[in-house]
Amino acid sequence: MSTTKDFIVKQLKEQIADFKAKAKEQTVGRIVEVGDGIARIEGIADVMMSEMLEIVSAGSSEKAYGVALNLEEDRVGAIILGDSSRIKEGDEVRCLKRILQVPVGEGIIGRVVNPLGQPLDGKEEINAEKFYPVEKIAPGVITRQGVRQPVQTGIKVIDAIIPIGRGQRELIIGDRQIGKSAIAIDTIINQRGQNMKCIYVAIGQKESKVAGLVAKLEQAGAMDYTTVVLAGASDPASLLYIAPYAGCAMAEYFLDKGQDVLIVYDDLSKHAVAYREISLLLKRPPGREAYPGDVFYLHSRLLERACKLNPEHGGGSITALPIIETQAGDMSAYIPTNVISITDGQIYLMPELFYQGNRPAVDAGLSVSRVGSAAQIKAMKKVAGKMKLEAAQFRELAAFAQFGSDLDKETKAKLERGKRLSEIFKQGQYSPVPVANQVLVFFALINGLMDDVPVEKISEFEAGLYKYAANSGAKIIKEIAEKKDLTDKLEAEMKTLIMDYKGTVEYIIK
Amino acid sequence: MRITPKQFALSLYEAADGKSASQVKAIIAKFIEILVKNNALSMAEKIEKEFLKIWNERQGIVEAEIITAHGLGREIMKMLKDYLGHLTKAKEVVVHEKEDKNILGGVVIRYGDKILDGSLRSQLAELKEKLIK
Repeated sequence: MSTTKDFIVKQLKEQIADFKAKAKEQTVGRIVEVGDGIARIEGIADVMMSEMLEIVSAGSSEKAYGVALNLEEDRVGAIILGDSSRIKEGDEVRCLKRILQVPVGEGIIGRVVNPLGQPLDGKEEINAEKFYPVEKIAPGVITRQGVRQPVQTGIKVIDAIIPIGRGQRELIIGDRQIGKSAIAIDTIINQRGQNMKCIYVAIGQKESKVAGLVAKLEQAGAMDYTTVVLAGASDPASLLYIAPYAGCAMAEYFLDKGQDVLIVYDDLSKHAVAYREISLLLKRPPGREAYPGDVFYLHSRLLERACKLNPEHGGGSITALPIIETQAGDMSAYIPTNVISITDGQIYLMPELFYQGNRPAVDAGLSVSRVGSAAQIKAMKKVAGKMKLEAAQFRELAAFAQFGSDLDKETKAKLERGKRLSEIFKQGQYSPVPVANQVLVFFALINGLMDDVPVEKISEFEAGLYKYAANSGAKIIKEIAEKKDLTDKLEAEMKTLIMDYKGTVEYIIK
Repeated sequence: MRITPKQFALSLYEAADGKSASQVKAIIAKFIEILVKNNALSMAEKIEKEFLKIWNERQGIVEAEIITAHGLGREIMKMLKDYLGHLTKAKEVVVHEKEDKNILGGVVIRYGDKILDGSLRSQLAELKEKLIK
C-alpha cells in the first residue's frame, strides 16, 4: 500500500510544481433583461457570434449556459439553454471563447441524449471522445461524389419507385397522423446489418411518443446502432432550435471516420416554429407567415451538411430524412416549399390513400427521388423500372374506368395488374422487407405470375411466398442479395420457385 | 421615434463640452426643458449613467474596481494603477477599492467589461480541476 501512497504524494507534488498561477483576463457582462428564454446582456464587447456564454447567478454556484445570437450596437441578445428560471437581472455573464459544442464519439450510440449531449435515458454520463461544433460549413464540391449506393428502407413502394441513396436528402411530407415518422422508423429498423449508424432527432415531440419509439427500436434491436437526440415539447425553443444541428454534428463524427450515417429530423416544421419564436423575441423583423428572413438558410445550411464524400475524403456519407408536417395537405405553404426546393426529392403521403387503407400512404405521382435509379441495386432496377409508369397509368385508368363498364381487354388487364400492384405496396408498420424478397415479389408481378391470384389474396400470397422462398429457395434469395443482379439463369430459377409455390396454394383462379 | 437615454446623454455632452460653468448652467436648464417637452424626465437617472460613461470614454478615464481579501498597501496600489493605465492606455485611472474575504487572497481587477482574476480562490479551483484530470 505504501507504494501507492508515495506515488500519489509524488504525483501531487509534481502536478503542483507544474502548476503556474496566472491571472486570467475574462470578458464579463451583465444581464439587463431576461425572459422567455432570451437574455439581453450589456458588456461582453468582444463576444463572437454563437459563442457560448456562462451565466453565474449571484449567490449561487449553479451555472447556466447561453448562446449569443444577436450582436447589437450596445447589447447582446442570447438564448438560454435549459432552465432559465434562476437567472436574474444583473447576473454576471462570461464569454467562454468557444462556439457551442456537443460531445461526439462511439459512446453516444444506443443512447437518448438532449441537444447538449447530456443523457436523458437515466444511464451513465456520455463518454465523449471529442467535441464537435454544432454549426459547421458543409463539405465543398471537391470532397463530394455522386450518390450511388442505396439506402434500403425495407418499404416496398419506396425502394421500388422512389429509391433513396446514401448521401441523399429525401423529404417525408404529409398531414399529421398519416405515418410520416413510421416510414423513418421502419427505415432505421431495416438498417440492421447494413453498416449504417442512425440518428433520430426528435424536435418538439411528445416525450411519451419518443419513449414508445425508443422501446420499439430496442425491441427491434435497432438501438445497437441508433442515437436519439430529443428536444421535447416542453423544452425551451433554444433547445429545439439547436437539436438538428447537434444531431448533425454527432453524425459528422461518423462521417469523418468514413462511415455511413442516416439522420432523421422529425420534424422541421416544429424547428422552424421554434426558430420563429426565438427570432421574434430577439426582435428580428418578421416576414412571410411571421418567419424571419433567414428561415430558408436555417434549413438549407442544415440539409447541405448531408453528403456523400469521395474515397479520397473518407468515402463516408450522411443521408438526411427531414420530415415536414403540412396543414390540411397544403404543400404550398412557406416552410414546405422551402424544404422541397432544398431536398433531392420528397415522399408525399396522402390522407385519402391512408383512409382507403393503402398504408404506407405514399402518393406515387407526387413523390419523386431526384437521384433515381442510381440508388438501386441492378436486380431492383430490372424489376422496378416499369413499375412507376404502371402505377401512374393505373391511377389514371381507375378514375376513368369508373364511368364506363365496357373496357377493352388491354385496359382491363392493366387495371387488374394495377390493383395487384397497389395491393403489394401495402405494408404493415415495423415489418420491413429485405431487398431480395422485394425483387422476388416484384419479379412475380411484372412477369404476370400473380395475375391469376385474386386481389384480396395478394397479401396472403406474398407472405406465403417469402416463407416458401426461405425454406425451398434460400439459395436464390442469397444469390440476389449477394450478386445484386439478375442473370437469365437466376430469372429462370425464380420463375420455377414461384410456380412451385403457386402449386401449393388453392386460391389460384383457373 | 423615441430618443434613447444614450442619445440624450451624448447631445448633453456635446453641448456642454468645453464650456464655462455659467454656460453649462444655461445649457442644463435648456436641457431639462427639452426633457420635459419630450416627456422624458423619468429617464433622468439613466441619462446620468450614460453621461458618466460617455464622459469617461471621451476624457480617457477608466474606472476600475480592485477587490482584495485584506486591503493593499499604498505602493502596490500605485503599481496596479500604473499597470492599468498602461493596459488600457487611459489618461487617468479611477480606482475603487473593495474588500471581499471570499476571494481568500490575491487580487481581482475589474475595468470596463473585463475582469483580471488573480484571486487565490479561482487559482485553487483551477488547480483542483487540473488534479481531477
